[in-house]
Amino acid sequence: MIDDHPMIIEGYKNTLLGENQKEYQIKIDIASNCDDAYDYIQKSSKSTPYDMLFVDIKLPPSSDGKITSGEDLAKHAKQLLPKAKVIILTMHREDHRIHNILKNINPSGFLIKSDLTSSELLLAFNNIVSGTPYYSATVNNHFRKMMTNNFSLDEKNLKILYHLSRGVKTKNLPNYVSLSLSAIEKRKNQIKEMFSIAKADDQRLLEEARKRGFV
Amino acid sequence: MKLKYWAYAKVVCFLIVLLWAVSCTKETVNLSEETLKYNQIDAHLRDALDGKNTKEDRLQSVDKAHVLYRTLSATTSEKLQKIEDISSAYYELKQYETSAKMDRKALDLANTLKDSMKIAKFYGYFGIYYRDKEKLDSAYINFHKADKIYSNLERSTTYEPQVYAFEHGKILIDLANLSRKVKDYSKSEDLTVRAIKKFELSEDYSYIPLSYTNLGTVAKELERYRDAVSYYKKAIEHSKKISKDTLFGVLGNNNIGTVYKSQQKYAKAIEYYNKALKYKPFLNKRPKKYARLLDNLGYVQFLANPDDPEAFALFQKAYAIRDSLYDVVGLSTNNLHLAEYYKTMGNDSLAIVYGIKAQEAASATNNNVELLQAYDILSEVSESEQGLAYAQQYINLNDSLVKMERAYVNKFARIEFETEEKVQKIEKISRENQILIITVLGITVLSLLGYIIFRQQQRNKELLFEQKQQQANQEIYRLLLSQQTKLEEGRKMEQQRMSEELHDGVLGRLFGVRLSLDGINQRVNDGYTETRTKYIEELKSIEREIRLISHDLGTETLSTDVAYVDVVENLIFDLCEAHKLQFEFESDEAIDWDIIDNQKKVNLFRIVQESLQNIFKHAQAKNIKISFDYVDDTINLTILDDGIGFKATKVKKGIGLKNITSRVRQMNGVVDFISNNEEIPGTKVTVGVPI
Repeated sequence: MIDDHPMIIEGYKNTLLGENQKEYQIKIDIASNCDDAYDYIQKSSKSTPYDMLFVDIKLPPSSDGKITSGEDLAKHAKQLLPKAKVIILTMHREDHRIHNILKNINPSGFLIKSDLTSSELLLAFNNIVSGTPYYSATVNNHFRKMMTNNFSLDEKNLKILYHLSRGVKTKNLPNYVSLSLSAIEKRKNQIKEMFSIAKADDQRLLEEARKRGFV
Repeated sequence: MKLKYWAYAKVVCFLIVLLWAVSCTKETVNLSEETLKYNQIDAHLRDALDGKNTKEDRLQSVDKAHVLYRTLSATTSEKLQKIEDISSAYYELKQYETSAKMDRKALDLANTLKDSMKIAKFYGYFGIYYRDKEKLDSAYINFHKADKIYSNLERSTTYEPQVYAFEHGKILIDLANLSRKVKDYSKSEDLTVRAIKKFELSEDYSYIPLSYTNLGTVAKELERYRDAVSYYKKAIEHSKKISKDTLFGVLGNNNIGTVYKSQQKYAKAIEYYNKALKYKPFLNKRPKKYARLLDNLGYVQFLANPDDPEAFALFQKAYAIRDSLYDVVGLSTNNLHLAEYYKTMGNDSLAIVYGIKAQEAASATNNNVELLQAYDILSEVSESEQGLAYAQQYINLNDSLVKMERAYVNKFARIEFETEEKVQKIEKISRENQILIITVLGITVLSLLGYIIFRQQQRNKELLFEQKQQQANQEIYRLLLSQQTKLEEGRKMEQQRMSEELHDGVLGRLFGVRLSLDGINQRVNDGYTETRTKYIEELKSIEREIRLISHDLGTETLSTDVAYVDVVENLIFDLCEAHKLQFEFESDEAIDWDIIDNQKKVNLFRIVQESLQNIFKHAQAKNIKISFDYVDDTINLTILDDGIGFKATKVKKGIGLKNITSRVRQMNGVVDFISNNEEIPGTKVTVGVPI
């Protein structure tokens, strides 16, 4: 279990250990930062590999700066412990982040902390243990939204929309998205065409993006 | 018939004359009283100079002219001319004293009029007056004054030198004559040469032969006989130009003869006297000159050969002519010659008779030279005692003459010295005055210059101060802006921090607590589960709320460039609120205020401020719309109001608009004021500034 808040770990423990102790023998290692977590993962890969990893996205980065978030950590874990089930637990519920995490890690479980209750956590745990992936309602909602669009937006486009929705100016976008200003403009126009709102302004674009669930 | 015709003619003539007279009077009536007087004076003077009238009448006419002259009021050069004319008329009529009186008046008038040429002329007249009265020193003074004035005129450029050269020449010739008379020959020569130059300059040659004659005489006295002859010849030569060759032929040849006589070249002398005698028709009319020539010729012949009987015959002939004419001057010479002749012949008694005659005539004519000669002869031919007395008289006279001449020379020299001194004094005073004037002027110019420099410096200081103030103003705005930006940044960072704190810290821990509680609730069922679940739900909603707040805090990230727009908006807000106006403000998000230099930002800010002031002061508007738009690398500022507008031509010079225009020009931008347009009810100010 990797989370920088002991209180949260406490919550997870309370939920899992209370009911499941009868069925499963659960041994839990706790890490509150990327360095510790990586050490544990490496150690276990050489001895007894973990069956399951609870990974928070927002984590204090590793001291060498290579691992900056739970996302990076999960990627490493997937390599070191290919059989382990990764469950992402995060406070972030923004579509593009959900999208990215799904795409990059494809976790067995994806739980949004704000939705989460102990019963849901248990449900998820049981499902995953039995081999069925479990996603939070919000994540599922995201899937649904994606499905309704007969197209998908790539990561860059989503980023553009996300930063725009944050109030970043188009001309400042190159600082956030690794694209030139003209490329960003081009992409924006593409998005507008996809939304069939060509020649609309940014405000209209954002409204549409929200409606369609990209933001 | 003939008589009748004449009668008609007379009547017609009379009528014509009458008509003419009437028309004339009519004309004169139109003329001013003064002109009338002038005309009358002229008429009287014409009468006075008319030789046909009797001397009495002529004199009366001049007197009339003089009486009329006294009634003339204005002091003009015309008046001066009249008094001069009157004086000339008196002179013509030999009223020398009256003429001199007139000249005195004229001189006063000329002095008042500051007419230098006239002043000199009148001094010349006085010179002639005194010369004629044999008052050589007074004459010299006046001629000298005239000469000085003319010489001074040469230095100034008021008149062309030709205008007065002739008059000046005449004065110089007079001075030369005076100098010669007192035997100051070298001076006389100098003066004559100067006179000739003046005459040549004036191109009036009438006095040139006279001048050369004078030179000849001077040369003879200085015993430069060759020069003398050549001068006399020149005189004859020049006389041809003025067609007086006859007169100067006689005089010149006579003079040359005399020169040769002085050289004891008697044959030559005889030759020239004979040349002079050839002008028969001329000499027939002038018996005095004829007599002198005869006398001179006789004397030379006598000197050449005392036994020449022709010489005595010539003396006799000359004597007869002179005696008949009562030519005392000529008789004096004649008597002398005869006395000398008899003395040489050894006839002492006759020599004494003629010597005494000569002495009497010479005394009568004041001819001291001949008087001396008479005494000389008498002393030789008289008895011893009488002779001694004559010798004594001779010595006395000679001494007194020498003394007198010397006195004159001295006096002339003194006159010159005194005038020179006076002139020098005047020059000194004028030089001092000049220095004073120059000093005063210099001081004035210096102080003026100083004042100007002082003013300029003051002005520069003011300008510098203004510039500094402007810089300070701009610095204040820059600081204001950067302050605003920093404030904004700080706020943003703080918000971000709070957002993150809430999201990651508070929210996380809250979630942990909720999850733990939920876990416990699942395990324990003590009848309060329902209530706890309710509270857990409550916790969840709190979480949502906190997340929303965090999200709001995190996303309400104002970019730094908002700061400038904020400053502008604050300005507009403050001003509009103070004046109770509605406003709309828009700023194109495409404008990156960060990269625009502060100068431009300050200028735009000021333009907005200025425009708002104008609107508040003059427009009586209710609504204002201000916008920054971004088109083709240009920021377009538009300030629109719904007020009463203005007449573009009338307010063109208003200081507000001028300021805006100058600011826009500083930024290489364009500005346009549109007012009372059909489409726009109020005023629209558009400013385009390239980035």
